[in-house]
Amino acid sequence: MKLTSLLERARRPLLALLGVVTLAASMDASAIPVFARQTGFKCVACHVGGEYPQLTSLGRMFKLTGYTLGNANDIFNLTTNIDRPPVAVMLQTARQYYTNTTPAAGNGSAPSSSFDLQVVSLFTGGHITDNLGAFVQWTWNKYDGNITSGSQYTQSSGIDNTEFRWADRIVGKDTDLIYGFYANNRSTMSDVWNSTENWTSDWIGYFNGGGAQAPGTFLMGSSAQHAEVGAGAYVFKDKTWYGELGVYKSITHGPLSFMTGGATGSGGVPELDPSPYYRFAYNKEWGPHSFQAGIHGMTSYVHNNDVLGYSDWSGSVSTYRDYGIDAQYQYVLDPHYFSAHFRVTHEDMNNVLGMPNSSGLVPTNPTDTLNETWADVTYIYKAKYGAMLFYHGATGSNDTGLYAFTPNGSPNWQSWMPSVFWAPAQNIRIGYMYTFYTQMGGTSGQMAGANNLSAHDFNTSMLYATLIY
Amino acid sequence: MKQITKILTLSAVALALSACSTGLDRSRSLLNPDVSGHTLAQQVCSICHGDVGSNVNGNSVNPTFPILAGQQEVYIVAELQEFQTHHRKDDAGQAMMWGITRDMTPKQMKELAEYFSHQKPLPNPGTAEADPAMVKAGQKIFNEGFLEKAVPPCMACHGANAEGNGPIPRLAGQHADYLYKQLMAFNDDAQREEENEKHHLNSNGDDLERPAGVAMEGIAHGLSDMQKHEVSLYLQSLK
Repeated sequence: MKLTSLLERARRPLLALLGVVTLAASMDASAIPVFARQTGFKCVACHVGGEYPQLTSLGRMFKLTGYTLGNANDIFNLTTNIDRPPVAVMLQTARQYYTNTTPAAGNGSAPSSSFDLQVVSLFTGGHITDNLGAFVQWTWNKYDGNITSGSQYTQSSGIDNTEFRWADRIVGKDTDLIYGFYANNRSTMSDVWNSTENWTSDWIGYFNGGGAQAPGTFLMGSSAQHAEVGAGAYVFKDKTWYGELGVYKSITHGPLSFMTGGATGSGGVPELDPSPYYRFAYNKEWGPHSFQAGIHGMTSYVHNNDVLGYSDWSGSVSTYRDYGIDAQYQYVLDPHYFSAHFRVTHEDMNNVLGMPNSSGLVPTNPTDTLNETWADVTYIYKAKYGAMLFYHGATGSNDTGLYAFTPNGSPNWQSWMPSVFWAPAQNIRIGYMYTFYTQMGGTSGQMAGANNLSAHDFNTSMLYATLIY
Repeated sequence: MKQITKILTLSAVALALSACSTGLDRSRSLLNPDVSGHTLAQQVCSICHGDVGSNVNGNSVNPTFPILAGQQEVYIVAELQEFQTHHRKDDAGQAMMWGITRDMTPKQMKELAEYFSHQKPLPNPGTAEADPAMVKAGQKIFNEGFLEKAVPPCMACHGANAEGNGPIPRLAGQHADYLYKQLMAFNDDAQREEENEKHHLNSNGDDLERPAGVAMEGIAHGLSDMQKHEVSLYLQSLK
């Protein structure tokens, strides 16, 4: 490729990048989002190396004490600090690059040719009373996450991660007990160690080409994201022992439905009967180190679709029993920030034969299993320069109905994702990430059921810039 | 009608939750002047400046956060004021303490300082990892200074056991990483002052990380990076 043509192709991304940097550089350096306005902290206080979403020990305590810490008025005082409005916005401008760009070939029907504004999130929340706080997010996606369906230009907007917490902390000379209750709209949203799905380290809008051939467990992957409401209770004792129990259910009507607004469509959204969720963990902090290890699980009772493919409350129910282990290690002492996460989740599926499940797929086996594995490491220097490496994959029983992209119906897949980023200011991140698929459909070669594409044809990379204000 | 029902239900839920308030004694509000310094120490400060299992004893775990147990009361109040007025601007201080002190009242500062100064400092667990040769070299600097560069013995002001005195902080048992970073801040301030002098500028200390620590500038500047590490390790080992 000629240099001039390369420059021409890079012109738009570079201009957009320049625009974001210029805009951000002209802003007040202390002007930052909801919780930072409330606490007066910089990002680095609660996030590892200043990079969301990974929480430091202080960030965990802030969340576990109900988002209440800080300089905010009680809502019933009916006064507020005009200079600390509890609202924030996040903009993500990005461009994805796909190895295979053939339209409607099980891949590549995604946005691939422009560097544009792809995600806008609005946030509000924080301290409501001394014990009650909230995290409320609303998100607009230009391309939706569902790029493999061929509906690449479907925009979506709706409620995103949303949680209300009531918490109390009893501190004495030799005691420290936090207990609380929450209502949120996705299982694992209550996580404070970034070792379960909702707050994994790659928390960013990413329109990945390989989603449909990379199955995950119901809890970590395809659960009713933001279309369910859960209520739970938790305790955290002596910064050491954590326990949590919750129950989730799909809500489409009534006062709590604002927590699922925009996320409950007419088809394709799993509908849950009351489904229990649990988490137990051990946490240890010494010097600049911290370690966590625990178990997680959820048994989801999910209504199958009707024969026309629509969610069906009156229909039969498939059961997904997920349980697994997860762990985190962190080193937090400026200028070095390091973290590592690991989880493996086992799933036992009880399918209903002859009925399309909530994803519209008709299983061939009455029972199936799936093991999903996730691992990541992050290093950040001076809260400015960072690099990450992720591993994500799954293995399980063959089912030609659920995994039709290979003749033998193998769900097995593996991917690696290196990522680098730079934070020129604490509320700006510019980065590049690349997902390498090394196995799909149990093979690194061609998959007969997916237009003879191979795992590496689904490789996706993204250049992005995010701004939070 | 549906909307009204929704609003009424939510209001009822909110009111019910606010009725479950655990009161001033367990508040984490940094805006309410009625919350006592003692409560703030328990509910807020202890998150970073506390020990595991006994959170309120002022012995921090992560070296990002200084140990406050046994610290001089006068010094704690002075630093809280320095953070509140944004005079003290070292990185970690800015990142956290500017926010913490934003609306703190003099009464709360006094109560907090009193509380932490009365806590018992524990032996620093970091001592076990320190190189004994460096600790020994640090001891020499502490006791004798480094006269080549006109650095006086630390003990002259900070006391024979680095216990501090009024506005002069206790350093004994403090995290070495924290001490080293502060020495670097004083060192950088010395360089800023030199630059200002060269260009005949008077910044009134606005460009300094720790303007109240002006007495430390020459001292920190006179010590090499290695010596700063050594003396920090020695101070950390003191009980």
